[in-house]
Amino acid sequence: MRKSWSTSAFRFESNIAARRPLEGGSALKNWFSSSAIAAAALAVALSLTSVPVAGQWSKTHPITAGCPSPAAGFHPCALGKAKTFNPSKTPDGQPDLQGIWEAPVAMGFQNIEDFPGDPSPGGFGPAITSIVDPPDGRVPYQPWARAQRDENVAHYIDPYAQCLPTSVPRQMANFRTREITQFSGYITIVNEAGGHIYRVVYTDGRPHVGPDIKLWMGDGRGHWEGNTLVIETTNLNGRAWFDSEGQFYSDSMRVVERLTMVDVNTIHYQATMDDPKVYTRPWTMVWPLERIKEKGYEQMEEACHEGDHDAAGFTLGGFKPYFGPRFPK
Amino acid sequence: MVQAVLFSLASVPAAGQTQTATETGAVRRTAEGTPDLSGIWQVMNTAAWDIQDHPAQKGVPAGQGVVEGNELPYLPAAAAKKKANYDNRATADPETKCYLPGVPRITYMPYPFQITQSQKQVTILYEYVHAVRNIFLGTPHIKGPIDWWMGDSRGRWEGNTLVVDVLEFNDETWFDRAGNFHSDALHVVERYTPVGPDLINYEATIEDPKVFSKPWKMSMLLYRHKEKNAQILEYECFSF
Repeated sequence: MRKSWSTSAFRFESNIAARRPLEGGSALKNWFSSSAIAAAALAVALSLTSVPVAGQWSKTHPITAGCPSPAAGFHPCALGKAKTFNPSKTPDGQPDLQGIWEAPVAMGFQNIEDFPGDPSPGGFGPAITSIVDPPDGRVPYQPWARAQRDENVAHYIDPYAQCLPTSVPRQMANFRTREITQFSGYITIVNEAGGHIYRVVYTDGRPHVGPDIKLWMGDGRGHWEGNTLVIETTNLNGRAWFDSEGQFYSDSMRVVERLTMVDVNTIHYQATMDDPKVYTRPWTMVWPLERIKEKGYEQMEEACHEGDHDAAGFTLGGFKPYFGPRFPK
Repeated sequence: MVQAVLFSLASVPAAGQTQTATETGAVRRTAEGTPDLSGIWQVMNTAAWDIQDHPAQKGVPAGQGVVEGNELPYLPAAAAKKKANYDNRATADPETKCYLPGVPRITYMPYPFQITQSQKQVTILYEYVHAVRNIFLGTPHIKGPIDWWMGDSRGRWEGNTLVVDVLEFNDETWFDRAGNFHSDALHVVERYTPVGPDLINYEATIEDPKVFSKPWKMSMLLYRHKEKNAQILEYECFSF
């Protein structure tokens, strides 16, 4: 957990850990402690100790809603089930997606592509790709962009580790929970973790804000296609990553998300990214969102930047702050 | 008649008086009949710089205070700390580090916020650093002590007023740039009372026996954003 419940609130963090045990996740801590920046990074490491590492989750959580958890299996299986599932409706007739959701098998926090695992001490374990299109499970980068992604990993700080907002679609994959609430004319998605983040997605047909307005969380507009909530997001600032491994986009990206109930406790979540400045073609990720079933569950305060002062530590370790793609001249 | 109108306009509340306002038109209500506070709101005052009466300075507009009676009942040691805070405010104010500004300060930061409302919960989404407050209705406080920047908020309806009891603060936020401060014993009771379709009377009672000799109160108006395209954008303070 990030050092959000800072200082004396650590006792409270242990309460939360007790009520909602998560597995794995010590990889980052070990990685940092083996480095010269251990002290400064300790805050980050502490903050991440309860992050589920995707590779481990795919072993401990192999089945979701009766489907294989990894994207390639979950995607066709869950959409098949959704065809015969009739979700309950809100009073004004929308399919009811409301609730508090987590994404335990999502790769969003670690690596969105297949990843063999990092053999160095404390390196990330293996991950299974969340990409269902293209079929090879790889981001269809333009050649310069693939090279830049490698450079990002080697030399730049994951903006998320600096407590900057997750952006989209990582908001739907990061650890801890997000609450979806539907109102007349808009839908809110409010996260517990990720550096106090939320989105207000308007469903009243209003146009996007002007193109000069760039936002960490983008400008989302929603509509319904049958039982599927479709959210189109533009106006992103292009400063965030998809994962901890440097996967990136530009401020021209347009994301189309599709949220479909598979059963009463599962959403098939799909995000298609289109960014001609960076990719050769649009590409799509899929992961399950699972309902928190605990009665009376409440999302609590996460105050990341307020507790973490890790940017200096990263800088000492030779990593640079990331300010967006470095386009070839 | 004209004279009467002029006279009534002239009777603006004096410094530090509790703001009271009325507005033509009925209070908006939900299907269940409770007042509907949902919408985008913002103050029109200078309390983020100083909650008390203050003259203009470079970058700071002059302003009438929002504190009832204007004076704050600091204990002697706390009064000295307030003065030191004021002298060092350019760097000592936690808000200059882009930290969550606490309650009630978040209400009168110069940024809009959006209230959403259901039967079990009122949520406030603030443009400033994507701050979020979940105000849970009809449930008890979490058993502390917890050091939260924005506290633990529990709400209830009293007639047309949403009363929010806030506990479990840390001691790391100030009330304003002028160095007015509190301890981790802070207890805030907020009262959101719609006085028309587009105006909320906001009051916050502050209790902190480690810093103040008695409770005190601030009040101000929240104005609804009525622009057709109004929506919350972003001010991610520490990203620049």
